[in-house]
Amino acid sequence: MPTPPTPPFPFPKEYSFPPFFTPQINLATRHAQLTKWSSLILSYCRHHAIYRLSLSDTTTSPSSPAYPLFNNDSINRRLSLSYIKEIIDFMRRDGRAEWVSGSGSGEQQQGDLVWVYWRTPEEWAGLVEKWVEETGNKGQVMTVYELVEGEGSRGSEFWGLDQELMVKAVQVLVKKGKAQTMGGEENLGVKFF
Amino acid sequence: MFLKHIDLTTALRPSYLPDEDLLFVQDNVGLYEGKFKLPNQQNGQVYLTSHRICYVDKAEPRKYSVALDLRDVERYEFYAGFLKSSPKVTLIPKATKRSSFQQRAPAHVSVPSRSGSSSPAHRQDGALRVSPVEPTPASTATWVCTICSFSNPVPSNFDPTTANAHTPLPPCLACGIKPTLTHVLKAAISNATSRQPSSPALHTPLPVRPRQISELAAVQSPGLTAPPRSSDPDASFHCPRCTFANHPSLLSCEICGAPLISHDIPTNLIQSPRPNNDSPGPFLNSLAPATTGLENPENVKLSFRRGGEKIFYERLKGCMTQRKWLLQNAPPIPKSSRSDGANGVSGAGGSSEPERQRPKIGGIAGLERQTQAMRKNNEIVIGNAFEDLEALMASAKDIVALAESFAKQVKGAGGSSASENALLAESASQLGLITTKDIVGSNGGDSLYLSELARTLAEFLTDDSRGVLRKAGGVISLVDLWAMFNRARGGVELVSPADFEKAANLWEKLELPVRLRVFKSGVKVVQGKDRTDEHTVRALLAWMKDLHEFPPDREVAWDWHEFGRGVTARDVAERFGWSIGVAEEELEMAEERGVLCREEGIEGLKFWENFIDTGEGKGYKDEATLQAEHTLKMLKESGFL
Repeated sequence: MPTPPTPPFPFPKEYSFPPFFTPQINLATRHAQLTKWSSLILSYCRHHAIYRLSLSDTTTSPSSPAYPLFNNDSINRRLSLSYIKEIIDFMRRDGRAEWVSGSGSGEQQQGDLVWVYWRTPEEWAGLVEKWVEETGNKGQVMTVYELVEGEGSRGSEFWGLDQELMVKAVQVLVKKGKAQTMGGEENLGVKFF
Repeated sequence: MFLKHIDLTTALRPSYLPDEDLLFVQDNVGLYEGKFKLPNQQNGQVYLTSHRICYVDKAEPRKYSVALDLRDVERYEFYAGFLKSSPKVTLIPKATKRSSFQQRAPAHVSVPSRSGSSSPAHRQDGALRVSPVEPTPASTATWVCTICSFSNPVPSNFDPTTANAHTPLPPCLACGIKPTLTHVLKAAISNATSRQPSSPALHTPLPVRPRQISELAAVQSPGLTAPPRSSDPDASFHCPRCTFANHPSLLSCEICGAPLISHDIPTNLIQSPRPNNDSPGPFLNSLAPATTGLENPENVKLSFRRGGEKIFYERLKGCMTQRKWLLQNAPPIPKSSRSDGANGVSGAGGSSEPERQRPKIGGIAGLERQTQAMRKNNEIVIGNAFEDLEALMASAKDIVALAESFAKQVKGAGGSSASENALLAESASQLGLITTKDIVGSNGGDSLYLSELARTLAEFLTDDSRGVLRKAGGVISLVDLWAMFNRARGGVELVSPADFEKAANLWEKLELPVRLRVFKSGVKVVQGKDRTDEHTVRALLAWMKDLHEFPPDREVAWDWHEFGRGVTARDVAERFGWSIGVAEEELEMAEERGVLCREEGIEGLKFWENFIDTGEGKGYKDEATLQAEHTLKMLKESGFL
């Protein structure tokens, strides 16, 4: 995963508001809080080009790139894991997050890794389709690796995209009848129509 | 005027005079004046106190509530009711109030020797209430000087029931020696008792010159056939005292100086002061035509539509006998002479006169002597008071004062005089006007008791001198109030929690200035009617806004200019003077309204202004606006950099 030196993420002001880290009781306030948190997570992940989060990792290890997201050390407040999960569930209903199911088989794994869709697979698929049309790659066969890491796609928005996520995007295209997959698991080939 | 408009308290009850005691309350009572119903006073509550009868109208309490002073009541009658007619109690005003004519007549022709007779007329009537029918002047009573045996008239303003050592007594007219109080008292009483059985047809000692009265009567009512004086076979007047036969034109006895009266005054005339007339006869009306329109028919009836009349009547009887209103301005009861004479220690306390006469002893010895005297006096007062029940009633005031001073001393010795306890001790004595179950008419059932209790509570809460509600920051939990109220009652006539709650629930219905509020958690609190949630929220927010301006006590990590700081329930309780339970509930109420938000941390639950739900963030922004915002942000940042 490429990690170019990114400028520090400009946190919203709620981030330094201590009650922001406490689950609110009032339903209206809670909804606003969930909305603000999901917005914060999405913009943070977009800023740092994070596609999936490991919840246990982000909450515990300070070395994780997403650590500051749920831990505000300057005001000594942190979000509890259970509330993070609730926020993820909230985002899931919006289609902005999804539990990573393929990565592990255990229940624990399932509750830990999460896709953060600051762009949904459909949106990614749209970008890929547009790129294919613009670069004249219609009818060509490309591997997924080529799409995300290859020289040809460098500069496009999905360059450096998580491969698994790209596979999801490609599958969206397949469903639409705009592409066809071929080859094995390791190096999946895609033919665009 | 017999019926007077009265002031009501915040709880729409009559405001009582000092020393006034509530004796009975009954609802569903209507008022009559004479034979006629008073149109605006047909449904209300009647409060019988030791001084007054107050009527508080149900529909328009502030407008139509009236009261009449018991001291203006000459007589009261009971009517048990018949078929559809409700039981009634009739109150007949005094002659002085009713007819000024009767009063004026004797004043014109008063015998010069009775110099003091221009004194307050109703006072004199009060003295003779025992036989209220005859407006007899007291001057017929005489006391015989022990020095020179001259029979002096008892001063007309001398009232045997209220007379005490301080009542001024005129000296003997012949020798100038002052009589003793007991002497005059005996004379007055024996006179009153001897006169009582006499019927008006007999020699009613009217201090008027017979001829004049008949003339007056003749002038006033030409139709009246006054028996000619010549019809009297006996041309001379027998002195009622010494039986000497005087010449009929004499005003006073030649021998003993007693005022003379005639026994040929028409019986009607003598009886005319009898106010016992629901339907005044034509004669009475024609006799005093000038007064009929004004005050004549002014007897007042209380019609008890829903029972309670018997108890009312009983209590009325009791308090007419006690006549507490006389005590109101009366000088303190003289200390019993035993204390002075028997053991040489002067009775200090009330009258300091004997104290002053004693040689002055300064320093510690003087102080010791003073305290010793005081203790002695207290001993005597307590001893007297508990001798019998009557005495206890009479000296209740002293005993209460004493008990209070003891309580204060005890507290002072204990060293722990919490302000609340002081408040309670004070209010205990102030809470004399309590409504108990037996004060309230039994027929009204519990509802009247409860509504009266509700009113008492409302008064207890809003009373400015006590300031129960104010000291509790405007909110007090129902349980706290219950405890405080029962403690203020001093352990008697306690209110059960069930009754208390029911009464509290009545506040809204009775439109009293306090209200019961139930929090979400079920906690019940009492607060002023004007205190709404909005009011509370505004106060909370204003305070929190202030916290943006004033730096917190210690360094905080967040930007307190931006967010202020979080407050705990304890902070709020301290700030607003609420109890912690109330503060918690109020904070949660504010949170419920989305004004505040919570923060659970190691320091406990804190509440903040709500910066989370500011109404702007509505879901994840779509691509384009995000892009635009992003670029804008980048531009800004680069601009800053």
